[in-house]
Amino acid sequence: MTETRALLLAGQPNRAPARKWPMTVLGVVFLAIMVFPIYWMINSSLQANSGAASTAWFPIHPTLSGYAAALRQQGGNLVTSLIIALSAVVLTLVVATPAAYGLARFRMRGMTVFVLVLLITQMIPTIVISNALYALFNDWGLLNSYLGLILADSALQIPFAIILMRAFMASIPQSLVEAALVDGANNFRAFLAIVVPISKNAIITAALFTFLGAWGDFLLALTLTSTPAVRPITLGIYNYIGANVTQWGPVMATAVIASIPAGVLLIIAQKYIAAGALGGAIK
Amino acid sequence: MKKSRTIVAIAAASAISLSLAACSSGSSASAGGKQTLTVEDYYSSDPSMSGYNSIYTSCGAEVGAAINPVHIAGASLIQKVLQQASSKTLPDVLMLDNPDVQQIAATGALAPLTDFGVSAPAGDVPGVLKAGTYKGELYGLAPVINSIALYYNADMLKAAGVTPPTSWDELKAAALKLTDKSKGVYGFAMSNINTYEGTWQFLPFLWTNGGDEKDINTPEAAQALQLDVDLQNDGSMSKSSVNWSQQDVNNQFVAGKAAMMINGPWQLPVLNATKGLNFSSVPIPTRTTAQTVVSPLGGETFNVPNTGDKKKMGLAGKFVACLNKPATQLKIAEISGNVPSDQASAADWAKSHPQVQAFTDTVKTARARTGELGDKWPTAATAIYTAVQLALTGKADPQDALKQGQAQNK
Amino acid sequence: MTTTSVDAGLAQRSAPPTHPTAAPRRRAHLGRYLARWLFVAPAILFVLVFFGYPIVQNVLMSLQDYTTTTFYTGEAPWVGFANYATVFSDPVFVTAVINTALFTIGSIVLQFGIGLGLALFFKRNFPLSGFLRSLLLLPWLLPLIASAAVWKWILDQGSGALNGFLSIFGVQPVPWLVSPSLALIAVIGVNIWLGIPFNTTILYTGLQAVPEELYEAASLDGAVGWRAFRYITWPSIRSVVSVVIVLGVVYTLKVVDIILGLTGGGPANSTQTLATWAYQNSFVKFAFGQGAAISNVLIVVSLLFALVYLYINRKGVDE
Repeated sequence: MTETRALLLAGQPNRAPARKWPMTVLGVVFLAIMVFPIYWMINSSLQANSGAASTAWFPIHPTLSGYAAALRQQGGNLVTSLIIALSAVVLTLVVATPAAYGLARFRMRGMTVFVLVLLITQMIPTIVISNALYALFNDWGLLNSYLGLILADSALQIPFAIILMRAFMASIPQSLVEAALVDGANNFRAFLAIVVPISKNAIITAALFTFLGAWGDFLLALTLTSTPAVRPITLGIYNYIGANVTQWGPVMATAVIASIPAGVLLIIAQKYIAAGALGGAIK
Repeated sequence: MKKSRTIVAIAAASAISLSLAACSSGSSASAGGKQTLTVEDYYSSDPSMSGYNSIYTSCGAEVGAAINPVHIAGASLIQKVLQQASSKTLPDVLMLDNPDVQQIAATGALAPLTDFGVSAPAGDVPGVLKAGTYKGELYGLAPVINSIALYYNADMLKAAGVTPPTSWDELKAAALKLTDKSKGVYGFAMSNINTYEGTWQFLPFLWTNGGDEKDINTPEAAQALQLDVDLQNDGSMSKSSVNWSQQDVNNQFVAGKAAMMINGPWQLPVLNATKGLNFSSVPIPTRTTAQTVVSPLGGETFNVPNTGDKKKMGLAGKFVACLNKPATQLKIAEISGNVPSDQASAADWAKSHPQVQAFTDTVKTARARTGELGDKWPTAATAIYTAVQLALTGKADPQDALKQGQAQNK
Repeated sequence: MTTTSVDAGLAQRSAPPTHPTAAPRRRAHLGRYLARWLFVAPAILFVLVFFGYPIVQNVLMSLQDYTTTTFYTGEAPWVGFANYATVFSDPVFVTAVINTALFTIGSIVLQFGIGLGLALFFKRNFPLSGFLRSLLLLPWLLPLIASAAVWKWILDQGSGALNGFLSIFGVQPVPWLVSPSLALIAVIGVNIWLGIPFNTTILYTGLQAVPEELYEAASLDGAVGWRAFRYITWPSIRSVVSVVIVLGVVYTLKVVDIILGLTGGGPANSTQTLATWAYQNSFVKFAFGQGAAISNVLIVVSLLFALVYLYINRKGVDE
């Protein structure tokens, strides 16, 4: 917390970039600490016999054999993960965005109760959900299917997406929407034409979280699939580790490869968040 | 307005992609008029996965069935089996780790193998029959088995002028001599982790010395635990052993950071693949030379679940019998590094594979973990690793640790 | 008007006025009422199926003698609160409650503190700030199993990178995951590392929404630095802070995977939390009824926390 304070005391943003390079240095130091474990992962993915006992500080004799093995064995799973995560993002946004707006704007008694219910959903351990879903999905024929995992992944992310977007949408001035209503638009029109564009940043943030949640899901995939037909990358890695891992190089290589597509999307999304459009729109 | 139309378009497109996704996940078609047996195991990674697949195919051909193998990742197999039991979607043939057989048999989900005229091959070691039997009925048979022994780094022992230990005192002395703090080398390594793996590694010391899982609060058990604690307090065994799985232990050994370790034959492929590692193995040392080592029996059994389809279950029974024929046992031993259950085959196997000698000797007297307590074993196993952890972390002395452990052993 | 919403800031806005007048108006009113619910209806459906059903099942399970046999036969005798009695009388329960409290408080305080610090730091738009901020999210992209494995190596007493680094300064090897007194601290540390990207991202997005003019106006009044933070930044991001803290606590209470990956709840139960203990009861010991009972205790604790927090927070806004 002292650190926070020091930053605050440093004063208001000044607009001379030349004087800000020391902050970049500080940023790099923070980051170095945060990403060291990732360096370690990449480092060990490049070493032939890495493991707790034998990973060197630097990959002096790097080998790409881990990556070759990972791509050969896990390439398909990577595509599966992408399909599932992207579909989950779309489905989640389609369900959560209107709900977030509805809950932020219409103050009816049932709705405030529902907000509390949304919060409660976040308290339920995933394992409890996945167990119950197994029986349900078995009856519905959704085990081992893309649709099943997309539905389940979305379902898990929807409450959070609503809570997040609602917090932002609450700050949209009523007057903006009411102006549109006076012009004859119905609520849904007003929502699409005014609320969605203004909330672009919040929506992208929610999309990002949903993507990461679905991408990183492991428990649902483990419970709801049993064949290689639909196998996300997290499960691929888990199976790879299996009962007895002997070579961590390829496992870590898979982990590194698995984070690339998500990383690219993240950097793209970050630009939108940084644009500050939400703040700008309310002015 | 343009934006809103885009969103509607995306929504529509997603609905299409969802419905397409639903179609693409069809069920696997059955081959020709033949019955298809679904075989579920936890060999989820190669080389064992493809190795077992080929064995399944050949046994399938022998009994006249097509095979649909399903590989569930190790730790989640039991969970999956229970879910399948509740939704009546059990496979036709189910592989189980042997200490789980009685637990699952107790639910009624498994059919006795004798219903299909299958009995244990005459030459199998006694532990196999015991592990697969629940309330007098045989439910599972393991084609190959394993146990644990003491591996040692031959070069390190030679350099230190140490011979492989046979008694606890020799073990302690050798471990101390082999320890080289300056190089970060420990004389001895084993897994004392808070899972059933930790229990499994401690059992040879407990059982050989006359300890028993029914009551672990005994002087015999205390002696065994004292050995474990001594090895650590002498500095011969890393304090990290309370967090090490057997795989971590093997990694230490491979990296040259442990001169001796307790481990199983399934590590042989990795050990052999390590360049410059000159190793061998002996049975686990006993407290006195008069004692015979009693190790836990390891290995996976094949079982026939009660699916309700009598015809398929009969076929599955034949399939399990085929897997357990001595000839198949040898083939499975080849791909898994384990020991054939049939004693004569095991003896032949040891001749052609001298590295497994210590294990073929040990499994003869190996004891099934569920032999005494049956489906109550998990409670005892938890009590044992709890006591080991309490003692090694210094929260209690061995005697007190075992007393606390026993308090949970009900 | 009462509100139990996450962001009590909403309470300031009033409900749209209603006009109880003639019949056509009433029908139009009903239509509008339904239209409003249509916004939320799909979400309600999802929540009922994917959360309502499991929670009901879990509550039933905790009142039954639910064993492995139940899965096959479907028979589970009612035992009332016997599972709860067993759980509460187990000595591990007290340990797990204390560990859960320490784990949650330690994680949240530092995750939030560091996350807010980084969010404020990155808001200052120095060269490469956007790029560095994106990289900050990297820890999140990695599969948790891989992260846990890597951290386990880094924290290894004998050959871990952390002790290797500390030894440069002459520090003796620290038994991070081995000593019962340090293991919990180490696990909290790793959990903080995992939580920083979440906190930073949400708080940063919240900071972005604070209009720049507010600061400009305030600086004319001499409110800069700490005072600007106290009187402008903090009140503006208050609703976002509520979301971050409430969700942070709720998520931290149910963390299982990272603890299982690092220590499995050990050594000697020193990192056993209610969540990992529930997992162990259900899936290692197959005592499903007791596992469900512990999960329910956990859910109730989360709920109590959330309600208390929201209550206090509402008071704060009303001031």
